[in-house]
Amino acid sequence: EAALLGQNVQVVDPEVRAHVYILVTALGGFNGEDAGRYVLGDDALACLRDIKKWLKLYDEKSNRMDVARCLGEANLVNGDLLPILSLWWESGQNSKHMSRISLACLEILVPLTWPVEVHSQMTVNHHRHTPYLQQAQVLYKRGILSKNMLGILRAVIKIGLPSMAIPKSERTARDEGILKLMLYLFRNIAIISPSTRLAVEGDEEETSRSATINAFHEQDVFALLLTMCSNIGDDFNLVDIIILEILFHLVKGVDVEKLFIDDGQRNVKRVDELGSLLQKESGLKREYAKNAPTRHGRFGTMVWVKRDDQKVSTVSGQDILKDDHWQATLLKMDQSKKWSKPQPQRRQDVESSNNDFNLPTHLTSLAAENLRTFVEELLDSGFNPLFIHVRKAIEREADRVVDANSRQFFYLVAWFLEAERSRRSRRKQQRDRNPRASKDIEPDSFALVAGVLNQETFIFLNRAMQYSFDNKDWQDLNAIMRCFTQILLTIQEMAQSPLEEDREIAENIQNRIFYEETTHDRVLSILRGYKDQGFGYLDACTELSHVFLRMLERYSKQNLDMQVRSRRRSKRQKPAERSTDDNENDNEDHDSEAEELLEVARVTKERKFDFNRFSARFCNQKSVDTFVAFTSFYRELSEEQLKRAHRFFYRVAFKQEMSVLLFRMDIIYLFHGMIKGPSALHSSKSIFNDWEEFVRQLIRRLIKKIEQHPALITELLFSKINSTLFYLEYGYEKQTTSST
Amino acid sequence: APTGPTASLGLDEEVKVSRKRQPVAKLDEARLLSSDGIPKLSRTARSKLKFKGKGHEFSDASRLLGFYQLWLDDLFPRVKFSDGLSMIEKLGHSKRIQIKRREWISKGRAGAHLEDNYNQ
Repeated sequence: EAALLGQNVQVVDPEVRAHVYILVTALGGFNGEDAGRYVLGDDALACLRDIKKWLKLYDEKSNRMDVARCLGEANLVNGDLLPILSLWWESGQNSKHMSRISLACLEILVPLTWPVEVHSQMTVNHHRHTPYLQQAQVLYKRGILSKNMLGILRAVIKIGLPSMAIPKSERTARDEGILKLMLYLFRNIAIISPSTRLAVEGDEEETSRSATINAFHEQDVFALLLTMCSNIGDDFNLVDIIILEILFHLVKGVDVEKLFIDDGQRNVKRVDELGSLLQKESGLKREYAKNAPTRHGRFGTMVWVKRDDQKVSTVSGQDILKDDHWQATLLKMDQSKKWSKPQPQRRQDVESSNNDFNLPTHLTSLAAENLRTFVEELLDSGFNPLFIHVRKAIEREADRVVDANSRQFFYLVAWFLEAERSRRSRRKQQRDRNPRASKDIEPDSFALVAGVLNQETFIFLNRAMQYSFDNKDWQDLNAIMRCFTQILLTIQEMAQSPLEEDREIAENIQNRIFYEETTHDRVLSILRGYKDQGFGYLDACTELSHVFLRMLERYSKQNLDMQVRSRRRSKRQKPAERSTDDNENDNEDHDSEAEELLEVARVTKERKFDFNRFSARFCNQKSVDTFVAFTSFYRELSEEQLKRAHRFFYRVAFKQEMSVLLFRMDIIYLFHGMIKGPSALHSSKSIFNDWEEFVRQLIRRLIKKIEQHPALITELLFSKINSTLFYLEYGYEKQTTSST
Repeated sequence: APTGPTASLGLDEEVKVSRKRQPVAKLDEARLLSSDGIPKLSRTARSKLKFKGKGHEFSDASRLLGFYQLWLDDLFPRVKFSDGLSMIEKLGHSKRIQIKRREWISKGRAGAHLEDNYNQ
């Protein structure tokens, strides 16, 4: 009955469907005699234009998706548009008629592949058609990338080439439109990926990121992008944002480190990975075997745990009779409890599906090679022009910019800076391997990425960071933090460069970054402000504070008379957004900046920077909580991440002498479990020893403290109150407030 | 339906018996401050907790953890250890418990002073 009901529902108005089907049929088809060959209908161009009109006047205007759905069901893309395009490409004829037809195809392809997203203002129609269209788009993408359709992407480039060749001053609006259409198609292809919620028929490999990258490489899309990037200021200044989006969707989630290792190393690494995975698995098995029953499942052991007041608890199972029976028994008692605390549900971000960069992506080795080549060429030629241009466009709030773009900008800057550093270290390795060849090679300067290491970028970054922190745009903030971290790391490397000039610039930049005390405060308050924003955010904010603190420590040690500008708390509103005027004069910009500086100077003063004091501010309950939340993922963390957490806790407990902050039962429970628990860290990891030693020292202190102050027994349950913190740590009252 | 004087007596209406749910036990301030709560913890700690000290850090820690786990199991049996710890930690932010905590510490401090004086 239910099925019958479903069958009678008309999803789309039958008349609309009939109209659309007729158009698709009239467009052309495969001829009976020569079945492999597509033959255009007599009025193909008019049909294409009509279809476009339907899409525009019916779908777009009344905000439905009916026509798009009908076109999907009629198999227009794979059955007609793609064969027409490949016909045009193969025949090589450049008649005006054919190029018009191919352009009309492109004009339909772009809206059909436009990402369909779940968003907050959806109608019934949207809900009905979205899953179908998402699946259809995957099929479109497969058709476009497939091997037996020769060079669809190339054909699309060919459509755009005449418009590209015209110098910018002579280009018409139509030409600009064609260029945009071409790039939007590439962007759409880069975005479309099989939805995780829907089953896709066929091989997922054919529509994966690797397949996209390989096709882009083979069909010269990369070459096109490179050309456009390096001439972005002169010839192509309206397509910068689209290129930014293409790049973002190509590299999001790609691990830079894995990309920049040689094939040999990659193989070694893969073998290592396999080895370590196998080892991990056997470790798990061994762990299980330790506690596995040695007799059959009905052997029926039962143990009494004698408690106070003649009470007794019972625990069953043989594993509790083992050597370390006390811990095992307690664990089993705990595990047998059925009730668990209700977990607060995290609300889900609706729009993040396409712009999420936290999901790691795997590339095949061929795709990695292709992408790496592209990235290196981009760094060499187009990086500075593109990113300077995009930054200006975003700051100016140009019409073509949307909110997600600034996040994409920061993510890409972070990604490419990391790529540049990996490339350098790789080159260095190669040079070390054969020192003879390296004699005549000049050491490279950092000029290739200088476009994002200038004062304007820092101002932009700081402002965006404050803005997204205030407005709780956590994804944005996540991207910005990554960007800031990478900038810091790049500068750190720059400071060790063999070139005198680089070192000077690095010194200068560090001075500028660390001069503003507001930056220090912001990093601190971001770290303190963590509250279930997800693991990606947690990773980014702990990394930023780690890198920031260490660099600041080094820098303040080298520059003993370091000064900072501290701002007294003033109610003055910071101008959040600069003027949005498009043709803003550069001079004006500088003037207003100077004015701003003057105004700030009234409420600020310089003072000597004291690293110890700053580092002490970092060691507080909130940031400890953040790092504890981070460490609780210890089973999945990498060595580098574990090291980061270890250094922080070490700093808290032993450098700042605030180990009381860590004397809390849940923290001790976590640390103890990391070393001795059933799912402890693997002892073969090199970081394990550091952690074991740290936990040992910490517990030793704890035991001593408990013996000195029995009051700590109750205090262990809670976060400490500031007023009693000092007493618990040192055993006496704070006499005077320190005056340094 | 009957009309007239008998209807107003309400004899025909069914008496609704609404049974209230048994209130669910909660881990709250009152429970934490009851004699089975924190007072018991500090009362029994001296006799129950014996540490071996240097070289036995991890076994000492597991002894300490066990001590707390059994205490929590007595206090509020249905909660798992780590959940219970976070619930108690949250309670620690309340005004009443904070005042109590300060009291406990100053009591400990006074004791320490006395001991100091005694030693001198």
